[in-house]
Amino acid sequence: MKRDLMDILACPVCKGSLELEVTEENENEIIAGALKCAKCSEIYPINDSIPNLLPPELRDKA
Amino acid sequence: MNEEQTRKVVREGYARIAREANPCCAPKNSCCSKAEPAYEIGRHIGYTDEELGEVPEGANLGLGCGNPVALASLKEGETVLDLGSGAGFDCFLAAGRVGEKGRVIGVDMTPEMLEKARENAGKGSYTNIEFRLGEIENLPVADNHVDVVISNCVINLSPDKKRVFAESFRVLKPGGRLMVSDIVLLKELPDSVKSSVQAYVGCLAGAIMKDDYIGAIRDSGFAEVTVVDETCFPVQLMADDPAAGAAIDKLSHSTDRGEGVTDSVVSLKVHAVKPNTAA
Repeated sequence: MKRDLMDILACPVCKGSLELEVTEENENEIIAGALKCAKCSEIYPINDSIPNLLPPELRDKA
Repeated sequence: MNEEQTRKVVREGYARIAREANPCCAPKNSCCSKAEPAYEIGRHIGYTDEELGEVPEGANLGLGCGNPVALASLKEGETVLDLGSGAGFDCFLAAGRVGEKGRVIGVDMTPEMLEKARENAGKGSYTNIEFRLGEIENLPVADNHVDVVISNCVINLSPDKKRVFAESFRVLKPGGRLMVSDIVLLKELPDSVKSSVQAYVGCLAGAIMKDDYIGAIRDSGFAEVTVVDETCFPVQLMADDPAAGAAIDKLSHSTDRGEGVTDSVVSLKVHAVKPNTAA
């Protein structure tokens, strides 16, 4: 995902704003990392450049 | 089926389709040839040859019911959210319409489909499309940020359609538009079809009555709810849809007091607006 998308993302559960943690990034986008909800503290992984923003109970089965 | 089971069935069904849809496999009978079922379905539901040609190979899986009206209305610079983006077909078309200043976000709950979409995005040089794993009942998008919500033959699969419309309303900017294409019913389906898992994945068993569908959009707060187009769904074309193959067999043999049920399924295109007065 691209950094400038942060302003449009929200936690799927509580709609709180998300904080980005980057573990891998190239010149275009963030490849791996996590999005943490500032409100409910849920953490959403970013794998292969795709943020997994499924609610937690669905995500584990993905 | 309860909601949980429904979601599981839908995810598994579409994961299978994503895996099996095999772009450009056999050299003799290329999947990209114009005789390909997905291409024929695409034409039938209203996409032009130009549109079908402009997307990366493999993006059109022939699963939609067509949303060309919505795509035509997109303006440069707009932010578009595609609910159930699948392999990315409508996202790629939308990306061309909104241009570099605009952006397109595809949300899908099937990881296999998203992988496909990303592969397809890599084939073109798209800089304005983002895909994310998400559920359309719990959109990972902030309030009042989107100009247009599009969705092509997906909401029928949701066990909680009202919530999908409520979420769409929430993420749209005031004045933003909802433009969805979907399968609805004019008559209730026989129980044998309703309870069929294949029919669910093939967009039939989850479909609700047209009036209920329109009502759910209105109840979410949308104004100017307009049916832009309503066509008899080409059920025979769905026989080529890998998800629906088995369901069609069932459909064409089932009768409801002597009448076929195929005429009770329609493809609907609905346009609605989030009022400017809505926060």
